[in-house]
Amino acid sequence: MRNKTQQLALGAMLTALALGLSTMENMFPVTAVIPLPGVKLGLANIVTVFALYRLGSKQALSILIARCLLGSLFAGNFSALLYSLLGGIVAMLVMIGLKHLQRLSIFGVSIGGAAGHNIGQIAAACITLGNTAVLGYLPILLGVSLITGTITGLVSSLMFRAMQNIRLGHA
Amino acid sequence: MSKSSPKLRPNFFDGIVALLVALLAIGTSVVFYGGLGSKDGDVTAVVLHYGKEVERIDLSGLDGDRQIEIDGKYHLTISLTAFGAQVTHSDCPTQDCVRTGHVSRVGQSIICLPEQVVVKLEGTKQSGDPDLILG
Repeated sequence: MRNKTQQLALGAMLTALALGLSTMENMFPVTAVIPLPGVKLGLANIVTVFALYRLGSKQALSILIARCLLGSLFAGNFSALLYSLLGGIVAMLVMIGLKHLQRLSIFGVSIGGAAGHNIGQIAAACITLGNTAVLGYLPILLGVSLITGTITGLVSSLMFRAMQNIRLGHA
Repeated sequence: MSKSSPKLRPNFFDGIVALLVALLAIGTSVVFYGGLGSKDGDVTAVVLHYGKEVERIDLSGLDGDRQIEIDGKYHLTISLTAFGAQVTHSDCPTQDCVRTGHVSRVGQSIICLPEQVVVKLEGTKQSGDPDLILG
């Protein structure tokens, strides 16, 4: 049986960690090096991947939604909420699906999640802009997501390896 | 290790995911930059004869086949449909225009040099055009 209190505490901690990671990422934007708007590493996705494997999809989803809501609150930018929510939820659904296939390693799941995130964000852009012209940007973002997904997958795999002997989240 | 612990080494199936993402990227770029189905869905065919515009037809408004006959030194038959344009017949000596075949994307054109005919496909609303010109 899982311990409710431990789950709650862990969920809150992971939400804080995800917020911290995305805030840090905003302070050192990748776009300073690669001049492509909207491109980022998606470090917060590492938290999502961790939660997905260790806590299950329900709790991973609740951490994700809390992160999006609090993140847009911190940034004082509610128009960004739709982007992060749609991106995050599509990424989550893709990763849940890929995880269920059981064949993929954390790399494939991360790449799928990164691609899903970009698809969700483009969808949000289509909704807010009211036209489909932004879809032309999708190929670039998808190409970038191959790289960023691999990087977050690598970080996640190192993290899981380091945490093999820690019972955190197994409860 | 719990049952839900992830595999930590990249494997063949991850490659498939990466490949699918890459294919999706290529597919969407073909659709939006190659113009298979242009962005606005509106393509206008412009026919020039000796540099003068003789026809300008919005292809998206076409229902079925529309034939345009060009007469000069040679005779050309241009067929326009909602999907593109083609020179179906020409009695010019080079036959380059006929061999060009069917064009469907914005920016493509068919050129017949002997008769100086240009069939070009333009976006009905070109993105480079100004929205408004103030005097």
